[in-house]
Amino acid sequence: PKAPQSLSSPSPSIFSPLQVVVERYQKEKTLPPLNRTKFLVSQDLPLSQFAVTLRTRLCLASSQTFYLLANNKGLPNMAVTMQELYRDNKDEDGFLYLTYASQEMFG
Amino acid sequence: LFLATLTYDTLRFEYEDFPETKEPVWILGRKYSVFTEKEEILLDVTSRLWFTYRKNFPAIGGTGPTSDTGWGCMLRCGQMIFAQALVCRHLGRDWRWIKGKRQMDNYFNVLNAFIDKKDSYYSIHQIAQMGVGEGKSIGQWYGPNTVAQVLKKLATFDTWSSLAVHIAMDNTVVMEEIRRLCQSNFPCAGAAACPAVESDVLYNGYPEEAGVRDRLSLWKPLVLLIPLRLGLTEINEAYIETLKHCFMMPQSLGVIGGKPNSAHYFIGYVGE
Repeated sequence: PKAPQSLSSPSPSIFSPLQVVVERYQKEKTLPPLNRTKFLVSQDLPLSQFAVTLRTRLCLASSQTFYLLANNKGLPNMAVTMQELYRDNKDEDGFLYLTYASQEMFG
Repeated sequence: LFLATLTYDTLRFEYEDFPETKEPVWILGRKYSVFTEKEEILLDVTSRLWFTYRKNFPAIGGTGPTSDTGWGCMLRCGQMIFAQALVCRHLGRDWRWIKGKRQMDNYFNVLNAFIDKKDSYYSIHQIAQMGVGEGKSIGQWYGPNTVAQVLKKLATFDTWSSLAVHIAMDNTVVMEEIRRLCQSNFPCAGAAACPAVESDVLYNGYPEEAGVRDRLSLWKPLVLLIPLRLGLTEINEAYIETLKHCFMMPQSLGVIGGKPNSAHYFIGYVGE
C-alpha cells in the first residue's frame, strides 16, 4: 500500500486521517466549549461514533441535546462515515467544519 | 410556510382565518379542503386541547410561583402535544368537542391529567418540579427536548394511559430500542383500570377487534418524540418539505418548537 500523504495535502489518500474542525455555535448557551477544536479522524469512522466522542469530551448526559451541523447548514445523517461527510462538505482549505449546538429555550 | 398555531406570545390570541386556497389543509394527518370542509376544519382545530399561561394556581412546591406567565410557554406546549397523545389514546383521533354535547368521562380524565394542581399527572407543577432533575430550576425556560424528557419521566406514573414514551436522541430513531420499549413485559395496568373498552376508542393504530386488550398488554401504545434542530439561526429550507410530511402522517401528534422568546405547538399546515 501507498504511504499516507502529508496532512496538509488537499486530497488525502484513503489512508490518511481527515482534518476536522469542531466549533461551538457562537450563540450557544448550554453546551460548554471544547478544549480543542482540531481533530484528526479516521475515514471509516461513523459520524455517530465521532459524535459520541465529542459528547464524552463535553461530559454530556445522554438526555442532553447535541447537534452537529456541517457547514452551518443541516444535520447530517448520523449513519454516514466521516469520509462521506468530508467528501460532501469539506472546505476549500482542506478542513471539514462542524458546528455544535443544543436546542433553543423558550419562555 | 403557513402554520396553524395554538399558542400566543402575549396574552392575546392571534386568530387568522384560513386563506382561501386550493391547497389542501393538513391537520395532524387529516386532509381537508378549505372550500368544502371549512366546518370540519374548525371542528378539528377546536377539538385540540389548548393550554396556556395561567395565574393564581396553587404555589408550585408550596412556596413557588403561582403563575407561569413569561416562563411556562414550552411547558404548556409540552402539555398540549402530550394531551394530543392522551386524546388519541383514550378518545381516538376522530373524537370531536361539540359545544353543549355531553362528553365521555375520558374527556374529563384527560383534562384532569393536566389541571394546575400538584397531583395531576402532567400538571405544570409536576413538569416544573421534575425539570429540576434535568437541571432546570423552577421558572427557568425549557427547550423542546427538556419538556420531552420530563414528560417521559412523568408518563411512567400514569398507569391509566400506560404509554411507552421514546425520545430519539442524536436525530436517530433506533427501531430495535422502540420494539423493546413497547414490548416491555409488565402487566398493562392502564388496560386493567379501563372499566370497559369503549367501542370508538382507537388504540394507536391497532384495529378494533376482539382481543384488543390482550394485544394491548403485549404492545404498549407509543409516543415517539424526535428532538431536532432544523438550522442554526433559521430553519434550513431543505427541511420544509419533510416537515410538511410530518403533518400528513396519521399518527402525527404535531410539532413543538418556536422562535426566539416564544414557544409554539404546530398542528398542521396549508400551502407553502
